[in-house]
Amino acid sequence: MSKILLSGHLQYFGVALFAIVLLILPLLAGPYPIAVLVDIGFYSIVTMGLIILMGFAGQISLGQAVFFGLGAYVSGILTTQYHLSPWLALVLAAIATGGIAAIIGRAMLRLRELIVAGVTLALNLVFYYLVTSLVDLTGGASGMTNIPRLSLDGFIPEYTLLNYYLVWIIAFLLLIFSLNLVNSRVGRALRSMNQLAGGSEETAQALGVNIMKYKVQVFALSAIYASIAGSIYAYYIGCIEPDTFGVQLSVRVVIMAIIGGMTSPWGAFLGAGSIVGLTELLREFMPVLIAGPTGAYELIAYGIILVMALLFLPQGLISICHRLVPQGGH
Amino acid sequence: MDFSVVLQFLISGVNLGCIYAALGLGFFIVYGVTRVLNLAQGEFVMLGGMLTVSFYAMGISLLPSILLAMIITALAGAVLYRFIIYPARNSSGVTQALLTVGFAFAIEGIALLVWGWEYQSLPNFLDSPNIQFWGATIFGQTPWVVGSTFFMVIGLFLFFGRTIQGKALRACADERLGAKTVGISTERMALFSFILAAILGAVVGAVITPLTMTSYSIGFPLTIKGLLAAFVGGITRVEGVILGGIALGMVEAITAGLMPSGYYGVIALGILIIVFLCRPRGLLSARGKV
Repeated sequence: MSKILLSGHLQYFGVALFAIVLLILPLLAGPYPIAVLVDIGFYSIVTMGLIILMGFAGQISLGQAVFFGLGAYVSGILTTQYHLSPWLALVLAAIATGGIAAIIGRAMLRLRELIVAGVTLALNLVFYYLVTSLVDLTGGASGMTNIPRLSLDGFIPEYTLLNYYLVWIIAFLLLIFSLNLVNSRVGRALRSMNQLAGGSEETAQALGVNIMKYKVQVFALSAIYASIAGSIYAYYIGCIEPDTFGVQLSVRVVIMAIIGGMTSPWGAFLGAGSIVGLTELLREFMPVLIAGPTGAYELIAYGIILVMALLFLPQGLISICHRLVPQGGH
Repeated sequence: MDFSVVLQFLISGVNLGCIYAALGLGFFIVYGVTRVLNLAQGEFVMLGGMLTVSFYAMGISLLPSILLAMIITALAGAVLYRFIIYPARNSSGVTQALLTVGFAFAIEGIALLVWGWEYQSLPNFLDSPNIQFWGATIFGQTPWVVGSTFFMVIGLFLFFGRTIQGKALRACADERLGAKTVGISTERMALFSFILAAILGAVVGAVITPLTMTSYSIGFPLTIKGLLAAFVGGITRVEGVILGGIALGMVEAITAGLMPSGYYGVIALGILIIVFLCRPRGLLSARGKV
C-alpha cells in the first residue's frame, strides 16, 4: 500500500516538475532550440496516442501520419475555404478524424495484428493519392498555403514561443488525461486484454470485457491525438504538402514509441525527444563529415535505430527510468 | 463503348496485374515458409531495377547486368534474414514486420546516397517496338512483363512440386514442427525463402524499369500494392496471389480509364481494402485463422 502511495506521489511530483521545466525551458533556450522543442511537442502528442494504442491496447498502427495529415488538412480546408475559427476547426477536425478512425477500426481490428499492420500501412498510400487528387480542396501535390495562424490576441508576441506554449500546454493536458486513462477502469480493461501486459483477449472476453469496443475506442483516441497535433502543426507552419504526411512519418512515430517505451505515456517524451534530437544532430553534422543528399542519413539512421531498438531495447528508454525510480501501482 | 478502348483497358490491366502478381509472389514465399510479413519486398524490386540500370550504364550488356543485380539483391535478402530476422525468430509477427520496415528504410537511405533523387530508366528489352492491335497499343515491354511473370509462376509450380528443395519449403510452410522432426533445417529453408523472394523481386525490378522507370523511393508503394494483391487473393496460395494481382491491375486500369486523372489510385486501393475487409481470408484462401 505504501508503495502504491509512494508511486502515486512520485507521479504527482513528476508531473509538477515537468510543468515547471516546461515553463522555464524557453527562458534558458535560444530561438533554434525552442523551434526544436516545438517539433518535439508535435511528435510527443502523436506518439502518446500511439503508446496507448500499442502499449496498453496491444494493437498496432503504421498509419498515424494519415490521422496527423487529416487533422492538418481538415483544419486547413475549414479555415481557408470556410473561414471558420482555427480553434473550432481544430475541434471539428479531431471529431471527424476520430469518426473516420472508428469506422476503419471497426472493420479492421477484428483481424490479426499482422493484417492490421498491413492495412494501416496501405492507408498511407490511400491518403497520399486522395490528397494529391482532390486538387480543388487540398492544392494537390504542390500543397495548401495561407493557413491562418493561431493567435491569443497578442498574448505572447514571439511566434515560435507562442507555439511552444500552445503545443506543450496541449501535450501536458493530454499527458494528464493519458495518465488518468491508463489508471482508470478503461486502463485496467485494456491491460486485461493485452498480452504484453500479461493479459489475454480470451480471458478478458470471458470476464465480460467488450474487447472490440475498447480496441475501436482506443484506435479512435490515438487518431484524435494525432489529429490535434496535425491541426496545430498546420497553423504553425502555415502551408502543408502531401509529402509531409507519408509513411516515413508513420514509421518515425512508431520508432519513437518503441524507443521511448510503451509501458507509460511518459515514454512519448523520451522517444520524441531522443529521435528529434538525433535527427537535428544528423542534419547539423553529417553533411560536414560526408557529403550526400539530404535525408539519406536520416533514413539510414531511422532504419538502424528501429532494428537495434527492437533487438536490444524492446522495452524502451522508459524501462531504464523504471529501474532507477521505485515502482508500484500497476 | 468502343471495342478498342475495352481492349486497351484489358491490356493495361493484364500488364499491371502481372506486375502486382509477381510482387505478391515474394510475399507469398516468405510468409508461407517463415510467417514473416516482409515489408521490405518492394526494396528488393527497387534494388533490382537500380542495380540493373547501373551495370547497364557501365557498358555491361543487359542479361549479365540483370544477373549481377539478382546476385546482389539475393545478398541483401540473405543479410535481412541472417542478421535481422534470425536473431528475432522468436519475437511476435509484428516485431518481425517492424524489423523489415527498419531494413527497408536503411536500404532506401543507402540507395538515395548512392544514386540520388533522379528517376532512371532502361530501353525496352531487345528494343521491342510497340505493337498496334485492333486499335489498341501494346507497349514493347509488356510481353516481357507478362512473359517473365508467367515464367516465374511456372517455375515456382515446378520448383514446389517437383524438386526436393521445393518440397522441403512446402513442408515448412505446412507444418514447421513436423518439418523439423523429419530433419528439414527450418532455419536454412527460411534463409532460402528470403533469398528466393529477393531474386524474384530483382527480376521484377529489372523488367518493369523500361515501363515505369525506377528511383530510390519506388519500393514502398510497390510493397503496399504487392501486399494488397497477396492479401486480397489469399497470401497462402500461389493461385490466390496471382488472382489478387490481376484483380488489382484490372481495377486500377479500368478506374484509370473511366475516372478523372488521379482518382484511380484512391479508388483502386479503396476497393481492394474494402474487398479484403469483407473477405479477410482472401478470395481463394483455404484453411487457418486469419
